[in-house]
Amino acid sequence: MSHTAVPYRPFELSPAELRDAVQRYAYHPIYLDSEEWVNEDNPYRRQLRPQVLKHLDFSRVLPKDEILNYHSLAAQRLLTAIYEADLMFLPRAGLADKWDDFRGFYSPSNRALGERIRPALERHAFGFLDAEVEVSGKWTRNDLVALMSQHQRQDFSEPSKSEIAIVKSADPVRAARMWLVQFAPDFLSEASPMIRNVLGNYGGAQSEWFKIIIDEYGYGVHATKHSRLFEETLRSVGLDTAIHHYWQFYLTSSLMVNNYFHYLGKNHELFFRYLGALYYTETTLVAFCRRAAELLTRVFDGAADVRYFTEHVHIDQHHGRMALEKLILPIIDRYGPVVIPEIVRGFEEFKVIADIADGDFAEQIDWMDSGADYKRLHDPVWAAVEQGRITVPIDHLVEPRGELSNTHCHDGDELCHIVSGTMRFVNGLDAYQILEAGQGTVIRKNRLHGAIIESEECVYQIHSVKDYRQCLS
Amino acid sequence: MLVVSFAARPGKDNCVMVDDLPYVYARTECGEFVLPARCPHRGGPLHLASFEPGRTRLVCPWHERATSVTRLLRAGIPAVRRGDTVTAVLPVADGAPHRLEHRPMSEGLSWEGGSR
Repeated sequence: MSHTAVPYRPFELSPAELRDAVQRYAYHPIYLDSEEWVNEDNPYRRQLRPQVLKHLDFSRVLPKDEILNYHSLAAQRLLTAIYEADLMFLPRAGLADKWDDFRGFYSPSNRALGERIRPALERHAFGFLDAEVEVSGKWTRNDLVALMSQHQRQDFSEPSKSEIAIVKSADPVRAARMWLVQFAPDFLSEASPMIRNVLGNYGGAQSEWFKIIIDEYGYGVHATKHSRLFEETLRSVGLDTAIHHYWQFYLTSSLMVNNYFHYLGKNHELFFRYLGALYYTETTLVAFCRRAAELLTRVFDGAADVRYFTEHVHIDQHHGRMALEKLILPIIDRYGPVVIPEIVRGFEEFKVIADIADGDFAEQIDWMDSGADYKRLHDPVWAAVEQGRITVPIDHLVEPRGELSNTHCHDGDELCHIVSGTMRFVNGLDAYQILEAGQGTVIRKNRLHGAIIESEECVYQIHSVKDYRQCLS
Repeated sequence: MLVVSFAARPGKDNCVMVDDLPYVYARTECGEFVLPARCPHRGGPLHLASFEPGRTRLVCPWHERATSVTRLLRAGIPAVRRGDTVTAVLPVADGAPHRLEHRPMSEGLSWEGGSR
């Protein structure tokens, strides 16, 4: 019997279809704007600012120099929500008043709508790595061992930009708390992306990988589960341990770090890339956690519970060795050198992402510390606007008491000018400026911020000045 | 094997010299690769080579000997570029003396992007 073959058509959404599909996903009630800065014990509520998404084009690859723009923050927030529909979260205090949110987050509809847009969002958010990392030449097992050995010999004792920013901050305690918040998406569900790689059946290496996961999960003793240790760290410095309590305070790059591993783990064609990224993290975490434990102990004057970090100083020495000797090399021996370029690529890609995150956080601490400076800068920049020395697009806004502008960032500098009323302008966890009529602030490009109205009504303007320094000359 | 990092863009430190042999990083329309920059014929400067019109072969400026780019891409020095830095695994002993220096690059080997 003959039949006519139907040509295979890969799944793809047109830019218009993608825009509609993103909005359809994000307009679920659990993703709408919040009236509070934090999510109280509700792991399903994630503010995606759906009302803004119609203005965003996710159909193109974001280049590296735009990777901290709002497109990226929006995409990473969406991806976090999509990936985590595979993870099990339950509120601490039960489901009595959250049953609808629970059902909605894990519903077939939410999952299907998320999966429909995930490939395009991943391309949008991580496609820049194609240009950033290039592997060439003919790689052998010995070449890879040489590369990894050289990496292990490096000195990782120098503090990162983030750590320097905390130490030099005007408020190191606030900066360190903001730092810990950035780890929450990863550490509170630690090893969940990795577990995606131990499903299925691929021989002995699978069981070796499982051993690393057993360590991460504390051998089934809940008190030693790594995420549990991190909860103790949060609690010891007065932070809430609920999943995504601080959703609005995650930086773009903090979500990117966590999502990168979900991206590799969810797309099994990137399995070998995950191995390279795993090796990089396991080997660098030893020095990082040693520095972090010392830093937190110093900043919190001994009050911080740093067992999460000291545990990693020990166990990741094993994990680095295990990742190379028990996972990567046996997999190369079994599946051939064809997989090596992908391992190398993952190894280097995660360096790129880690560098972005390090710089992003340090910039945010400077932004939080400089709130009063940017408030003062309002006056000369406003003068340039008022005197007509610059002409820029203006948004006029009128908002009632309690209106919360959920956190976001802009792709260029902006000037916020208060016409009447009072605004609390928030530029990080526990960092804010009170803006009264006639006052305002410069809002720096890519810096996370939000605002809440503290008068019966507030009339204000947002001037898109792009680069505030041009207004000062 | 010697693992060494150097600049992937033309300019300062874009060449590593090992055993008197220069290695540079070539970015071409056909792909990117580490190029041993001495022609095996008479030692001509391959960092100044041009592309043979319509073919994936580099032509040495001294005696016009052709070098296959396809071979350099598939069977060449193992390397990885991250941003503007390339790390190569060179076929010499770990710890072998080496130094970084500058080599000018021909236009065809310092391609700056676009579709390929």
